[in-house]
Amino acid sequence: MRRLPNPFRLIARNPVALKELRGRMRGPRAFIVLTGYLIVVAGFTVIIYLATTEASLSTTGEVDGGTVGRFLFNSVVAMELFLVTFITPAFTASAISGEHEHQTYDLLRTTLLPERSLVWGKLFSTLAYVMLLLLAAIPLQSIAFLFGGVDLPEIYIAFVTLFATTTLLGTLGVYFSATTRRTLKANIFTYVSTMGLVVITAMAVMVLVSIEVSRSFGGQNNITVAGEWVLLLLRGVFVCLNPLTTLLTSQDYLINQQSAFSFVYTFSDGSTVTLPSPWIVYSIAYMVLSALIFWRTVRVMSEIEE
Amino acid sequence: MSDLGTPPVEEEVFSADEHVAAENLAAVSALRTEIDETDLIIETRGLNKRYGKLHAVKDLTLQVPKGAIYGFVGPNGAGKTSTMRMLTTLMRPTSGEAHINGFSVTKDPREVRRSIGYMPDFFGVYEDMKVWEYLDFFAACYEIPEGQRPGLIRDLLELVELSHRRDDMVDKLSRGMKQRLCLARTLAHDPAVLILDEPASGLDPRARVEIRELLIELAKMGKTIFFSSHILADVSEICTHIGILEAGEMVMQGPIKELRKQLSPHRTIVVTLLNRPDEAKQALNLIAGVQNIHDLEPEDGKPRLKIEFTGEDTGISEMLQALMTKGIPVVNFAEEASDLEDVFMKVTKGIVT
Repeated sequence: MRRLPNPFRLIARNPVALKELRGRMRGPRAFIVLTGYLIVVAGFTVIIYLATTEASLSTTGEVDGGTVGRFLFNSVVAMELFLVTFITPAFTASAISGEHEHQTYDLLRTTLLPERSLVWGKLFSTLAYVMLLLLAAIPLQSIAFLFGGVDLPEIYIAFVTLFATTTLLGTLGVYFSATTRRTLKANIFTYVSTMGLVVITAMAVMVLVSIEVSRSFGGQNNITVAGEWVLLLLRGVFVCLNPLTTLLTSQDYLINQQSAFSFVYTFSDGSTVTLPSPWIVYSIAYMVLSALIFWRTVRVMSEIEE
Repeated sequence: MSDLGTPPVEEEVFSADEHVAAENLAAVSALRTEIDETDLIIETRGLNKRYGKLHAVKDLTLQVPKGAIYGFVGPNGAGKTSTMRMLTTLMRPTSGEAHINGFSVTKDPREVRRSIGYMPDFFGVYEDMKVWEYLDFFAACYEIPEGQRPGLIRDLLELVELSHRRDDMVDKLSRGMKQRLCLARTLAHDPAVLILDEPASGLDPRARVEIRELLIELAKMGKTIFFSSHILADVSEICTHIGILEAGEMVMQGPIKELRKQLSPHRTIVVTLLNRPDEAKQALNLIAGVQNIHDLEPEDGKPRLKIEFTGEDTGISEMLQALMTKGIPVVNFAEEASDLEDVFMKVTKGIVT
């Protein structure tokens, strides 16, 4: 039986990944960033805890552990998502442009290092560092278990969704870094794309949900099943492109339908359809998009200056 | 411990430098005679590079024999860097062909990269790395197996005399040291050809001398060195071959000795005498090949003659023998080497693109 490859050996085989990780973890910077990040998340968790317990006491006269736990968990995940959205592009937007700016790009291009190894090394080192931040915050997420109201699958779903988000944003950052060759430009393009993706999809979801709500409560049930399918798919596409709506709807299906992997949608004529949970579609879509952007980045880098 | 009793350090270093310089000159002379002019390691034919309307490199035919130290000379904007970028596979030629070590720069870029070590005209060092990590990183990029790298790094640092700075951060090195480190990097995969863009640019005199010595050392190890420079003194001292580029065109190239001969058809010999200059002129005029004899300004009252001569070394020997036979007291008798600057001024027109 073949032995599985040692992951540390695989990293060491990519000189760029090794160099980037060494550089990132050297000195007090990595420790300071990690500590600062945990202090922010922990501080935020404490504020959320105090606010939710206070609200729970003032409305029901007692602390509803489940509500507090779920709200705490959601807040920590939302905070992580926010940080990932801001940190990942900042790390990757200088990946290739930094080589141009430090005048080391030509040196790398005249070595035998394949373009894909350069891109992968840059991306991997960023993903590894962001993963470290996410893993370090798991104990804070787990505080929610003390109150109840959160299941283990929710942690997995949150982690996979955050990972897919980091991968796409990281790849996007490297792509713009390779095409613009200037860190400032790459940062602007990456943040604008990220904001565009998050804001536009969120707005689209809001519009589609409001149509759905007004249709249900307005008693306008003259829409056909085919029309309902269109609306469902349209809403599904936008929900599954936005990390926040993906997390919220996946959690909703998990709680109300007790299924982490699928949900059942009931049409107005009583017929039903089983569809995959949004986090699955989201993760697959983001990973496929990441792979396409990665491939395109390698192509761009392989082009010889004319 | 006291330093009393030790010889003056400056003096010792100076004499050591002089000794090294003499050794280098001898090494370059030896290289100049050993090179097979037909065994080309870098060859371009009709190489062109256009940037829009600007024709940066025009029908360039470059011929660099194996083992040569080739000085690629030209004013700023002549097209030296564009040529080097095409040779190093960083830029695609508009037309024409270029081969390094038998591999086409457009069809076999990977093999070309395996054959060359490239140092651009900027440092290009990662400041947040240690010296050994920098070399280890590039050795890995050149696919040197992990187990071989520690020994390789030790040898490279020894060669560029940076062993004592192995664990220092790169940003702590002086400019000259960084340049030497860059040179060590180019050698990580033991390439046949080194392509160096202005390797001595911006360095202080000592660092320039050190780089020159290093290049000669590398040539002695069998490397072909192709470097650009506008410091003619460097080129004239260490090169076996030169190519002069102006406005994208090669105006002259070949072995440095031959170029000097072509551009200065006669040789110049300067003789310093104690006295009897007229008798000396008569004796010298009888030697075949002597074209003209001019009087130069006397030096400390001693008459000096400048002889223009076309012929071989035997004729020069006959001149000295004729003076000796007549009993004319000779203080100094030496051939004047034509300055590369003269060669450069003669063949270039000062055109800058």
